[in-house]
Parts: sequence; structure tokens; C-alpha cells
Amino acid sequence: MTTDAGTRSRSARVGLVGTGFMGTVHAAAWRGIGVPVAAVLVQPGNEAAARATCPEAEVHSALQGFLDAVDVVDICTPSDTHVELALAAAKAGRPTLCEKPLTLEVASARDVVRAFAAAGVPLQVAHVVRFFPEYVAAREAVLRGEIGDPAVVRLARLSFAPDRGAESWFADERRSGGLFFDLMIHDLDYARWIAGEVTQVAARASGGPRSHGIAVLTHASGAISHIEASWAEPAPVFRTRMEIAGSRGIISCDSDETAPFIPRLHDSAAAADTALADVSLAANPFEAELRHFLDVVDGRREPVLTPADAVAAVQLAAAARRSAGEGSPVAIDLVGAEG
Amino acid sequence: MVRIGFLGVAHLHADAYVGNLRAAGAEVVGVHDRDPVRARSWGARFGVPVHEDVDSLLAASLDAVVVCSETAHHAALVERAAASGCAVLCEKPLGVGAADSARIVAACHRAGVPLMTAFPVRFSPAVRSLRALLDSGGLGALRAFSGTNQSVMPTRERAWFADPVLAGGGAMMDHIVHLADVFCWLLDAVPEQVYAVGNRIVHSDVVPVETSGLVLLDFPGGVFASIDCSWNRPLDYPTWGGIGLSAVGDGGTVEVDAMRQRLTRFGGGQSFGWTPWGVDINQLMIDEFLDAVREQREPAVTGRDGLVATTVALAALESVASGAPVPWPDV
Repeated sequence: MTTDAGTRSRSARVGLVGTGFMGTVHAAAWRGIGVPVAAVLVQPGNEAAARATCPEAEVHSALQGFLDAVDVVDICTPSDTHVELALAAAKAGRPTLCEKPLTLEVASARDVVRAFAAAGVPLQVAHVVRFFPEYVAAREAVLRGEIGDPAVVRLARLSFAPDRGAESWFADERRSGGLFFDLMIHDLDYARWIAGEVTQVAARASGGPRSHGIAVLTHASGAISHIEASWAEPAPVFRTRMEIAGSRGIISCDSDETAPFIPRLHDSAAAADTALADVSLAANPFEAELRHFLDVVDGRREPVLTPADAVAAVQLAAAARRSAGEGSPVAIDLVGAEG
Repeated sequence: MVRIGFLGVAHLHADAYVGNLRAAGAEVVGVHDRDPVRARSWGARFGVPVHEDVDSLLAASLDAVVVCSETAHHAALVERAAASGCAVLCEKPLGVGAADSARIVAACHRAGVPLMTAFPVRFSPAVRSLRALLDSGGLGALRAFSGTNQSVMPTRERAWFADPVLAGGGAMMDHIVHLADVFCWLLDAVPEQVYAVGNRIVHSDVVPVETSGLVLLDFPGGVFASIDCSWNRPLDYPTWGGIGLSAVGDGGTVEVDAMRQRLTRFGGGQSFGWTPWGVDINQLMIDEFLDAVREQREPAVTGRDGLVATTVALAALESVASGAPVPWPDV
């Protein structure tokens, strides 16, 4: 993979929607691959903050004018606003990268995917774990047959609770989807990427702002997965663990054991309000994700992650949340955009 | 000196216990095993006289027996030992089913002899520290446990572990009970419901039993716990496996890895290996058993504890078969 974004898409006018936590991360990554954001769409009144985050971009507060000014759209807004923005981008024929979760219900996820299919333009959902070098390397080892057939996949994403204030969209589970939709969905998607379609989900969560959740998946292949997601850690803990046990061996990775740089400082800077893996010391997964998106837009690469994969992730998160609420396992219908 | 007999040495833990018993000052008087060849080779290896039948060993003025036969034979051996007045240390799981497991507890209760289930993990200083933290309220209200007891398939050492008749199952019968016992002990409760999934992808060519399993337990008050009991460490793994758990409470989280105290070694005949340097938890368990025998009291880990943990494993197997959660059966 090169740092050159490619001949056509290098000149793409990127439109970023939202300049909050993920919007800021994406703006930096766009800059990093040499395709700085051209236009930003924010709520009226938020223009000054947008200029501070993205000084290189023109700032819009009207959707249609924004869509007219860009070639591709990157949606980094609160999760409950994705449907409306994605449908508008599809209608305008703009290839779109949308933060995860695609939507908060399976039906609306399918609506969005159908709209992009009808418009004939790519939709990529930012399941960025598929671009983290250790997760990519593990999958490639599995595909090479190094550990035989996957039998048990164990994934954990353990973090302190994001603290963006009680009034923020993030604190409202109806807007963020809560632990299963916001955090566990990364590993629900990855487990399915490794072990294939899921037929049953059983999950539990302790609930509340410091929720801790476990989901047990049964895959059609017979493999089983144990997915753990947590906002119960004290700040600044953010830890990921992955283990894939197969018929012939095991692959594992623990962020605690693979950190190449461990500062222990008397005076530490104020902690961030939301945890994010340290991506500064290896290939940057956000940049890889954006480059891949542009490659797909240019027709130079098959998508690593299809719209149907994003629907399946929403479906798994919904099943896990339902199982945790009802206390019973939830069977998964056939995944995909249709139905 | 406490006089000990071994009834069965099919379980590989017998190899460790014999040294632990001697280190604690007990006399290992004799061994019986239904397989006379195994009895002779084990007796010769550890310098223990072999008894051709159970009665002759039980007649040797024993204070206690250690039952390390195949699980399916535990009940019959414990009944005979208890009837002769011996205290019993029984290897886990207690039995292969609900009925024979209950018979073990009933026989010792009837005879008034101490019965201990071999759960050495209870004696792990790290697990004890977690118990102390929970008791002190330092972790706040407990919400969840997540545990792993993954290992090499023990057929590397003994073939019967994967015999569904002799062992009652595979990985789930072997490796649910330790963590089930720890969770029940830490919470002072039994699960309300048991859900489990499993498969036989690892070693499917050699054994007829499940080799991987994940268990989800619901405890009172909304506390939930998971157990990974898989036999999925490859056969050339540097050690037998491992056991660990994490606890999540309102006051924070705790990670317990009873195996982490070890040296990392490269070279020396194996490309990579670990050399443990933590305390021998088998020794702590044997010390407690011998104290209970001397004082004729109930050991810190009881037969009922073994019955509860075995019930979790049996319910997990039932859940795998039905695909549905299994409500706790009264035991």
C-alpha cells in the first residue's frame, strides 16, 4: 500500500459531516493520506468549531450545498443521524464512508444499503478494526491455514467509559445504541469476518454508563466466539485482546503485551474523553481505511467490507442487545441487504 | 502420621498429589487401580506398594483415601472408602452424572467422614486476594466474571479423558468445574441458569467428545459469568494450559492469572518454554485436606462444592445438546 492516494481520487473533493471525536480523527487521517477535507457540514452555529478542526475546508451548514461541493462523503455524526445523511448522500450519487454503526436498526440499515445499490455508488462502513495491522495479520494467517479451521474466537475491547457529559448524544442509548452498537460491534464484525456467518447470539450486559458486556456467538461453521466489551475500566485503560484457536494452532495478540512504548509519567496530560487505540506506532488503520475507500471508489479494489457486512454487524449488535435484555439466546436470520 | 491410600491413579493429578502428601508428612500406604498394569507401573515409579483389590488397601488402617480413578468409577470407590471410615479427597468432577455425583456426597455424609473435592485453584493466592477484595467491598458491587481454563487436550497424558463413558464428556466435563467452583465460592451462590455452546473442531479426527466450549452463567442479582473450557492449546504448547479470570465491579476491574508467575525460557531443548515459580497450589490444597483429616472436620472445599460445580458442567452439556439455556436443577 502506498501513501499515494491514486491518480483520480487524489483530486477527490472529500466532504466530512461532523467534526466531533471521530470527525477529528478522520480529518487528520485525510490530511495524512494527502487528501485534505475540502468541505465540512456542521449544524448551524458550529461553524467556528469546524474551522478550528478543519482549517483547510470550507464550512457548510446546508446539506444540499455541501453535497454539491463534494465528490465523496464521510459521515462522522452521532449514530442516530446516519440514516438521514446516508440516504441524502445516496440520492446525490456520492460514494460514502459512514462511521459505525451504519444505523441503529436492521430495517433502516437495509434501506440505506438498498439506496446505495440503486444509486450504483459505493458505501463503506468504518469498521476500522478490519484495517488494524494486527487484526489484518491474524486474518491473513487464518486464511493461509496456519491454525487450521477456527474453533474458538475470543475478542475483547476493554475501555474506560467515554465521558462527554450527561447531555451528549453518546450518553443517550437511544442515540448511540449503547455498548453493543458502539463498542462491541467492532468485534462482532471481526468475529464474523474470521469465522463466518452467525446463527445464534447469547449476551449479557451490566448496563449503565460503565456497562460491561459479554456475547457468545455460534457460527454456521460450528466455530464459537466469546466477545467482551467494556466501559467498566478506570481511565485511561484501553485494551484489546484477540485469540483465534483453530484445529492446528492458536494466534493471539494483546495490546498490553504489544505496546512498543510505555510511558509512565508523574505529570500526565489530561486524559481524552473517549478511548482510542494508539495508532501512532504502526501502520495507521484510519489512513488505510480511507485509502481503501478511495481505491474502491476508483474501482481499483474490491471492498474489504461490503454493505451487507455492515447490515450483518447491525444485526449482530441488535441480537446481542436483545439477548441481554431478554436473557435468552437470539437466533439470527439469514443476513444481507434483502429481506 | 496420616495414612493415605490411592484409589485409582488414572487422573494425572495423582502424580503430583503423591509428592504433596509426602511433603506434608503423610504416609502413602498403598495404591489400587482397576488396571493392574497401571497400578504396578505407578507404584514402581513413586515407590508405593500395590494392592490387587480395594478391600486389602482399605484394610491397611488408612485415615484417608485419594480417589483419582476415571470419573465414572469415583462413586463406587468413594462409597467403599467412606463405609470403611476413610476421609476422602475426590478428584474433579465428582461424577459423570447427577446421580453418581450425589451418591458420593451422600455416602460420606452417611459415614460421617470428611469429603473434599480437589479444587486447588481455590487456594491460589491470586484468587484469595480477589476474594479478600470482594469481601472488603473494594471492588464495589460485582457485575461480571469472565474466565478461561483452556488447555492442551489431556489425552496427551491419559486417553480416558476423551472417553464419553469414563469421563462423562470432554472439555466441558474437564474444565468447567474449576471456574464454576471459584465463581460460586466468590459469590456464595449457585447459578440460576446455564447456557453453553461447544464444538469438536480441534482434534475432531481423534476424539468423539467436545473439545471447545463457552459457558454463560446467570447468578442472582444480574451477575453474569463466562467460562472458556476449551482443549484448544496445540499439543506442542509449552505447558498444560492455564486458568485465569477477570472480575468487573462498580469499583473497577481485576484480572487474575494464576499462571503468570513464570520465567520465559528460550533454548534448552525446546524453542520456547515457561518455568513456573509461583506457590504450588496443589500443596496448599493437600495441606488443608490433611488438616481436616487430623481434625475430623469439613475441609475448606466440600463435597457439596464439588456437586454444585459438577452440576454446572452437566447443565452446560445439556444446554449444548438442546441449544437453550438450562434452569438450575436443585441439588
